[in-house]
Amino acid sequence: MEKFEFNKAERDHIEKIIARYPDSQSAVMPVLWMAQEKFGHVEPDVQKLVAKTLDLPEAHVYGVASFYTQYYKEKMGKYVLDVCTCLSCQVCGGYDMLHYIEEKLGIKAGETTEDGMFSIQSVECLGACGYAPMMQITNDIYVNHLDKAKVDKVIETLKQGKMPEFEPIPMRVAEKS
Amino acid sequence: MPEIFIDDQRFEFEGNPKVLQFVLDQGLELPFFCYHPSLSIPANCRQCFVEAGTPVFNRETNSYELDENGDRVIRWFPKLMTSCSLEATDGMVIKTHRSSEKVARGQKDTLEFILINHPLDCPICDQAGECPLQIQTYKYGPEGSRFEHKKVHKPKRVQLGPNVVLDAERCINCTRCVRFTDEISKSKQLSIVSRGDKNYPLTAPGTEFDDPYSLNTVDICPVGALTSTDFRFKARVWEMNQTPGIDMTGSKGTNIDLWVRNNLVMRITPRYNPDVNDHWMPDEARKDYRRINENRISRPSIKLDGEQVKTSWNNAMLTFNEETGKVKPSEILVIGSPHASVEDNYVLSKFFNRLGVSDVHFANDIEKGRGDDFLITDDRAPNANGCRFLGFTEHDPAALGKAVSASGVKMVVILGDDLIGRGAFPAEAVQGKFTVFMGTNNCDTSNAANLVVPITCSAEHAASYINEAGRIQRTIPAKETVYTSRRLNLEMSLGRLDHFATKFDNWESDDNKVDCIPAWEFLIRLVQETGGDLTYTSSREIMDEIASAIDTFSGVSFERMDDEYGIPLKKENQPQGKTV
Repeated sequence: MEKFEFNKAERDHIEKIIARYPDSQSAVMPVLWMAQEKFGHVEPDVQKLVAKTLDLPEAHVYGVASFYTQYYKEKMGKYVLDVCTCLSCQVCGGYDMLHYIEEKLGIKAGETTEDGMFSIQSVECLGACGYAPMMQITNDIYVNHLDKAKVDKVIETLKQGKMPEFEPIPMRVAEKS
Repeated sequence: MPEIFIDDQRFEFEGNPKVLQFVLDQGLELPFFCYHPSLSIPANCRQCFVEAGTPVFNRETNSYELDENGDRVIRWFPKLMTSCSLEATDGMVIKTHRSSEKVARGQKDTLEFILINHPLDCPICDQAGECPLQIQTYKYGPEGSRFEHKKVHKPKRVQLGPNVVLDAERCINCTRCVRFTDEISKSKQLSIVSRGDKNYPLTAPGTEFDDPYSLNTVDICPVGALTSTDFRFKARVWEMNQTPGIDMTGSKGTNIDLWVRNNLVMRITPRYNPDVNDHWMPDEARKDYRRINENRISRPSIKLDGEQVKTSWNNAMLTFNEETGKVKPSEILVIGSPHASVEDNYVLSKFFNRLGVSDVHFANDIEKGRGDDFLITDDRAPNANGCRFLGFTEHDPAALGKAVSASGVKMVVILGDDLIGRGAFPAEAVQGKFTVFMGTNNCDTSNAANLVVPITCSAEHAASYINEAGRIQRTIPAKETVYTSRRLNLEMSLGRLDHFATKFDNWESDDNKVDCIPAWEFLIRLVQETGGDLTYTSSREIMDEIASAIDTFSGVSFERMDDEYGIPLKKENQPQGKTV
């Protein structure tokens, strides 16, 4: 079994994080995040490490980790496609996009392709209702105004190992009448 | 004194009570799920909504502002308030569902939301009948749901730990169980996991809910989400009758309720006593119902040619009197029991005092390291202090073993204590000595005894026990013996089945009654057999006599024990333990 540990520099950094808050419980999210950046996931053993480091109950850390889809509770593909299926996206075709991606990659939401390239998640609101339907890639770039052609293009780009470019959203100017 | 107006009725209050607790303390009703008086207040179920307002106080005139009718002007909180977390302030005005349409509507709508994903499987749910969600839905809920979509499905039958099963779909996320493990048992093993409509309480991956107090979460769960592995599907709540009792597995004196159906104790739950166990009890103690139901000694037996045979009560009494007549008082070793009641021990000592035996002995039952700082004690016996306060001589089990083996001892009388089974002495130690065992369950000691007298256990008699802190509390008969009847003993509780079932109903049974009598009753019958004058008609009478005869017990009576949740015996009256 893989053993998970923080090194000295990381532990020092964690001390600094803890010092920002009144108690160590408040540090659970940034430390989980640190762990995910280091190990690529927060599997139960990593959660245990975080709990031990912060002297918190394991159940509490698990509760926090399981609340957010952004924490990966198991090993994920290189690119995680978080397709928003919350209200606004749902109304604008979020599920159509999700099902299209599922079909295209041959996996269901919550699964990872065999080559370890892609995972799909159906997630709650990412705060981009104005650009629905949308998805986020591996907790990073937002891809907005999804349609089938755009999904094809994004997946092609990712297959080449490139992240899609950041899309600046133009301010809508009220039409002059 | 500060005042508060609830539904236009004026109350005075002291300190800083929360509105919900204050309302409940007045005997009024307000629905709630997540609030628990012994836990922190998260206000997350939103069921205890009230309208609340405070009077407008004018600092310049230093008086309350009045409207044209001369009534105080009330500044209302803009939205409904959760009364559980709202602190009462002077002059506060509260409107509950009794006087406010808005509150009634709020409660109804909250319930509709709570019920959106709740499976309506009450007919197969163990909680049905004692379910706050079920009761409050009847009282305050909507008649039906407007939600026509598929309910969210979550894990069912999750074995959280050795004693608790989770049905996540039934959970309403009140977090009582999580707060219990965080704040009371401090194992912190539970947490609410996942998010939104998918969340439910769970342990961390790879760990199990093995908290020694885990079953308390089942008691406080306001729905059927957490159920007891052991009690699951055994009995419906309304089939059982509920009788207060005292825990027999430790010296804490935990207050319990015994739930009886057809004279079998189906389960044991904690009973509130702020001075002893609050609302809680350990899991281990709940398994004590087995001792009450199973492997009981029924009818006396006598050892003939090395084999025990059942015999009549008459024969048992004749044999007993015959044997005591054969030996000198100094050759009888009388052993009382920290597992038996004060009354039984007292009458035992009185009986043998009459015969000229001055000393009664007992062996403490202490397992070092068993206890914790909460409700589990090192002492495994409920009444060691009872024996001490009656002036019995205390021994370590091994020391008592030596006394039993002494050659001068010809007759050994043991009251309700499996001394051989718990290793005080081997069965050979009593060989050749006439051994009388008055006990409740078959055990190594009863097997070795020449005369076995079946006596009632804590679930079958009214008797008192003194806990480690010197608090005397009493039991009430919960279960009938062959010689008692629910309908005749007015102290016994009658459940629905007891009330309404007849002998011809197939769910009613006369079985499970043990042929036994209280130890004191056997002893006074022995006296009466020989024309003596020892008479008691009830254990109540015995306690009255103890109270007048022994300083430690002065002022103690069953009535006071009932009224005051047990009585702490006065420290200055408590004797120093006599040890050898």
